[in-house]
Amino acid sequence: MKLLVAVKRVVDYNVNVRSKSDGTGPDIANAKMSMNPFDEVAIEEAVRLKEAGKATEIVAVSMGLKACEETIRTAMAMGADRGILVETDAQLQPLAVAKVLKALVAKEQPQAVLLGKQAIDDDCNQTGQMLAALLGWAQGTFLSKLEVGDGKAIVIREVDGGLETDEIKLPAVLTVDLRLNEPRFVKLPNIMKAKKKPLEVIKPADLGVDVDPRLAYSNFRDPPKRQAGIKVKTVAELVEKLKNEAKVI
Amino acid sequence: MSTASATALLDGIRAFLTPAQLRTDPDSRLLYGRDWTHQHTPAPLAVALPTTVAQVQRLVQYANDQRLALVPSGGRTGLSGAAVAAQGELVVSFERMNRILDFDPIDRSVTCEPGVITETLQHYAREQGLFYPIDFAARGSSHIGGNIATNAGGIKVIRYGLTRDWVSGLKVVTGKGELLDLNKGLIKNASGYDLRHLFIGSEGTLGLIVEATLRLTSPPGPSSVMVLGVPELDGVMAIFDAFRNRLTLTAFEFFSAKALRHVLNKGLQRPFETATPYYVLVEIEHTSAATVDTALAVFEQCSEQGWLADGVISQSETQAQELWALRENITESIAQYQPYKNDIAVRISRVPAFLRAIDALLAREYPDFEVIWFGHIGDGNLHISVLKPAALDQAGFLARCRQVNEQLFSTIRQYGGSISAEHGVGLIKQPYLHYSRDEAEIAYLRAIKAVFDPNGILNPGKIFA
Repeated sequence: MKLLVAVKRVVDYNVNVRSKSDGTGPDIANAKMSMNPFDEVAIEEAVRLKEAGKATEIVAVSMGLKACEETIRTAMAMGADRGILVETDAQLQPLAVAKVLKALVAKEQPQAVLLGKQAIDDDCNQTGQMLAALLGWAQGTFLSKLEVGDGKAIVIREVDGGLETDEIKLPAVLTVDLRLNEPRFVKLPNIMKAKKKPLEVIKPADLGVDVDPRLAYSNFRDPPKRQAGIKVKTVAELVEKLKNEAKVI
Repeated sequence: MSTASATALLDGIRAFLTPAQLRTDPDSRLLYGRDWTHQHTPAPLAVALPTTVAQVQRLVQYANDQRLALVPSGGRTGLSGAAVAAQGELVVSFERMNRILDFDPIDRSVTCEPGVITETLQHYAREQGLFYPIDFAARGSSHIGGNIATNAGGIKVIRYGLTRDWVSGLKVVTGKGELLDLNKGLIKNASGYDLRHLFIGSEGTLGLIVEATLRLTSPPGPSSVMVLGVPELDGVMAIFDAFRNRLTLTAFEFFSAKALRHVLNKGLQRPFETATPYYVLVEIEHTSAATVDTALAVFEQCSEQGWLADGVISQSETQAQELWALRENITESIAQYQPYKNDIAVRISRVPAFLRAIDALLAREYPDFEVIWFGHIGDGNLHISVLKPAALDQAGFLARCRQVNEQLFSTIRQYGGSISAEHGVGLIKQPYLHYSRDEAEIAYLRAIKAVFDPNGILNPGKIFA
């Protein structure tokens, strides 16, 4: 079984992102960039499927600037066999990403597409669902467990108030949650091996996909600053403030 | 040393401290009477919590009048017993003097009270777009005052030096009760003896630190963390040299497989499957786009030499933190075994021979004990923790450890090393000071102590008896 895994380059989880003062976007110049943690889980799961003899080939895909090659190299150091970068400086939104992935599915013919349930930069949580709809494939989203069988997969989904177990047909789109696995550390020898693995660079136009954004962002701003606390002198004053200022009792 | 009754002594203190600033209950006396060492039974008279410099001066004057011993106390994370009060002393805790008083972007300095927690200062510096580089595992509890009193080192010494290198101004109340304003935040000041440096690392024996001005620097760029598996002890410093020659190192840490085992038992992920007896953690600053490629080249070079067997490199800040946890969580993971700790140092050039010598010594003297090695090996600093076997009682265990100390410290003297690299002397290493300092030098130390604290009221029994 061949797997396509989408990996996104995002601002590192530990970076405290602020808005630019002119409100045109987040200020991420020189920020540390890493692989989207949810996508890291997706790659790890694909590699485990390959190690278990259930997957035959893993293709890691990213899209965006040339620097996304680093993210693909990380995926290949973790165990992906080859990579594809769809290079563009366009601002990529979920629908465009889903369309590019659909075109890559047509080109690569995988039996499943694995990706994070969302990316930690825009938190959209849309790409996997859109891709499944465009392909007309089954989808298993928010996975915390995945068992691949013959032509089907048993998945456990993290849903509100509990876990849902589904059996879905393959091919399918699978979006993963953090509890699915703990991604491995990348070994230095494997980084060197990854440098020799093939990485194909193509443009959206090569796939015949229009990636122009459909949504325009009008403004970015930081959340309001939390007010400093105050000290009350008496219980009566506390009760008065809870009633009249906070209006909670 | 006190002649007046405890009640009378406490009544005298109540004349200038509020009831909430003087704690006499058993829980407080137990808590504030000790640090992370648990070899002494805390027995302080009481705990004073001053909030102003004037109150600190009153306390020192009162202590001189009454010949009452004072034990200054910060975050109580010390490892040498320097903050232990086991002889009816009055603990002076600085936890309520915890304000950041001033920040100057042009001087790039911050002035604060001694009770500010190290991590609070680190965060404050970050908020100003700057960086306070002294860092170690106890950052969330330790106080700036305690950092200065012990000249704290930690995990970034290789790149940024010790606490001493970041203190540009210091206000102290001496053992005579006088307030000294030392160096006043200056970078250059060649006007006579620099008393500031006497108080840094003095373990509360010369004066009480009541205010500090600390330099800040630009935040470091992105970095990567590697954990490497090392088959032979000799490889450790060869790897250090290879990386240092071609990269900017911000940390070079060492730990043994036995240390790793304890950390993994607490639920951390193993870095890689290849088992080796030793590991190093290397943090490199990304000074150019080619940094990671250079690191890979050095890794290959070291592999070809057989110095290392395997290794991983962080791909995100989260992974960097996870790899650091393998090293930083060691102290906590072995705490349940009541380890006997030695914190020793030699010059970097002497580390390989010294490691071989003490490896042989420990194998010979402690065949039945589990010995955990880790440390800031890039600074020539090694922590040796001997775990107490469950079958042995505390007294018997300590007696055995002290026997081995004599031999261990003789080896250190032979290599021109120090019996305490960064934990300080306190009570615990006090009997061994002469292994690192000769008699003439110790006589000068005592003479200095007598100048600042003629009545011997400040932390008596610490550093020397």
